[in-house]
Amino acid sequence: MHSVSSHELSLKQRLWNPEARLAYVLMAPTVLFLAAFLFFPIGYVFVMSFFRTNKLSELTEFVGLANYVERLKDREFWETVGRSMVWTATGVVVKSLMGMVIALLLNVEYKGRKVMRMLFIIPWASSVPISALLWQWVYHPEFGLLNHTLKATGIWTNPPTWLGEQLSAFIACMWVDIWAGIPFFALVFLAGMQAIPPELYESGQIDGVNGRQAFRWITLPGLRDLILISTMLSAIWTFNDFNVIYILTRGGPAGATNILTVSVYMNAFVNLKFDKAAVTAVFVFLILTAVSIVYARFYFRKEND
Amino acid sequence: MKRFPKILAILLAVVLVISLAGCAKKEKPKVTFYWALYDGLTEQFRADLETAYNKQAKDHQVQIVPVKWDEVQNKITTSLAGGTPPELSVVGTRWLLDYMTTNSIAEVSQYVSKATLDNIAPGAMEAKIKGKLMGIPIAAGARILAINTDLTKKVPATMEEMRDEAKKITKAGKTYGVIMPGKSHTETTDFCYYFYAAGGDYFAMNADGTYGKCTINSDAGVKALTFMADMALKDKSVQDGFTAMTRMDAHPVFYAGKAGYVLIGAWVESAMKQANATFKVQYAQIPPFQGQKQAGLIITDSVAMFAKAKNLKAAGQFIDFFYQDAWKAKFDEAIGFPPVTISAGKLPQFQTPLYKTLGEAALTAKPWPLIAGWDEFNTIIWDACEKVFQGKATPKAALDEAAAKIDAAKK
Repeated sequence: MHSVSSHELSLKQRLWNPEARLAYVLMAPTVLFLAAFLFFPIGYVFVMSFFRTNKLSELTEFVGLANYVERLKDREFWETVGRSMVWTATGVVVKSLMGMVIALLLNVEYKGRKVMRMLFIIPWASSVPISALLWQWVYHPEFGLLNHTLKATGIWTNPPTWLGEQLSAFIACMWVDIWAGIPFFALVFLAGMQAIPPELYESGQIDGVNGRQAFRWITLPGLRDLILISTMLSAIWTFNDFNVIYILTRGGPAGATNILTVSVYMNAFVNLKFDKAAVTAVFVFLILTAVSIVYARFYFRKEND
Repeated sequence: MKRFPKILAILLAVVLVISLAGCAKKEKPKVTFYWALYDGLTEQFRADLETAYNKQAKDHQVQIVPVKWDEVQNKITTSLAGGTPPELSVVGTRWLLDYMTTNSIAEVSQYVSKATLDNIAPGAMEAKIKGKLMGIPIAAGARILAINTDLTKKVPATMEEMRDEAKKITKAGKTYGVIMPGKSHTETTDFCYYFYAAGGDYFAMNADGTYGKCTINSDAGVKALTFMADMALKDKSVQDGFTAMTRMDAHPVFYAGKAGYVLIGAWVESAMKQANATFKVQYAQIPPFQGQKQAGLIITDSVAMFAKAKNLKAAGQFIDFFYQDAWKAKFDEAIGFPPVTISAGKLPQFQTPLYKTLGEAALTAKPWPLIAGWDEFNTIIWDACEKVFQGKATPKAALDEAAAKIDAAKK
């Protein structure tokens, strides 16, 4: 009996002592901010998905799972899910591969390496909407730099209307996302490469390993954790990418670049169908949460090993 | 160490008091006006109007917020949902029905003076819904055909004639017959021009005057979309890369003197001036298809007053100021629309060939259907057009699907 009350006392002491109170005061603004601008909106979207809404996103009628059933029966929804998966997988794979290549190039000693490192950061450091607007002009069929160059140099006399045809629009949007995302991978991998002790490469040289073997057996294992965490982050960012597609194509032509996040926006703020948008947003949330959990389990299991 | 939280708490309280004291500075009530950026409208005009009004207003100030047309509705929706609507906003007149379903807008006749309202042409009062004036017209104009007479002298009497002439004008990559936006944007105006010219209507009318079944997949609809697709894909007489161009991207190709015809609104003259266009232009009516009667599109935009805004009385005073000829006529001239006010309509600058053509077009033109949910229908129609332009569906199949979707959404 005595021991139980002392345990309660120690818990109270632990939760309510001068240091703890200071911590609460310091944390309060962040907690309040998160509650107001993150937890409440997320919760409200979940609630909204079970209601019909009016044009102002006000809840008008409880419909249970009807919104979910409607959405799951919609062929276009499944096409959008599939397109989002292709968008994310392609983006992450290409960005990480190209990021790795660039990191390897930037890790080699040569004159002007620092300048090259700075230049490679530019796409990532630039604001994504501004970059997308610039690329919109590059892709412009009549006045754009890309088609003008292709035609003038004779490389491609009849180039596609990049943002006006279904496949080329998807590729063109994908490329802008990749272009903006490569520097992140390059920088992360470069930092990782520089943290690998040079002695490992030196002993490898003594043992007669060539460059490819050194990459396979020293560099890649050294970057394993970084690759995991950076691809996970990139998968979430790419899946959530809205700016590039919205600015370049608004999900068109004929839905060819419509991914889930764009669909949420178009349903909510163009068609004013907030209930439909809420259901899609819940799916996005669940998919990304699942991806994060899988990655986290994998990552921490490795860490514990 | 134990005293530290108390000191910190006192410090935080002092900072809070100082911040609140700063906020407490008395400011004049503010009237916010979401100002849609029409083609031809300059930032200088917006700033001059704001400054001139605020100079003479004693007890309040107006803030004119420029907003891109494509973003206006989004901005209004988020501000309404957040409980902080503007006092005033330019809106597409057809949006008013949506705002009425949520009791978001106020009757403008309660706040705008009788003198201002009496000076508005009765024909422009499209926002008079069920006997209540829910928006004051700001721009009303029929759409017309602009012809680059450096490329062609032909004024087509029918759509078929326009198509034939367009083929003759087209020289791959250099000049084009007709401008055709093929990428979705705010309105499906381009499909509508051909649809109305083919004698189409968006909905069947019920006996009680309400809108019935969607008839976009009628023979007229299929004829219109087939005609557009044929000009673009078979004749290739529209500008290169039309599927990647909204109206904003496509019209500059005409201003650059590279196209013979463009189906366009009243802003054409001011936009051409801004683009330093040097070719000669002639205005004509959008031709009907052979055997059909003349029927163009007329679009009205309005200024709405939002019921939950705080300073509606002051907003009404601003409208009275803005709708004087000194400002409103300048506004009309900049955006190129014919004036909606009776007094401005008599001014010499509105007696040109362009305004004469616009006036004639208005006699036979039809507006959009005034129906709630139009924006979603607009998206559906654009999707249908894009599917046809991409070769993913025939005009008939795409429009059948669109009509079914619109009917479902209407419920």
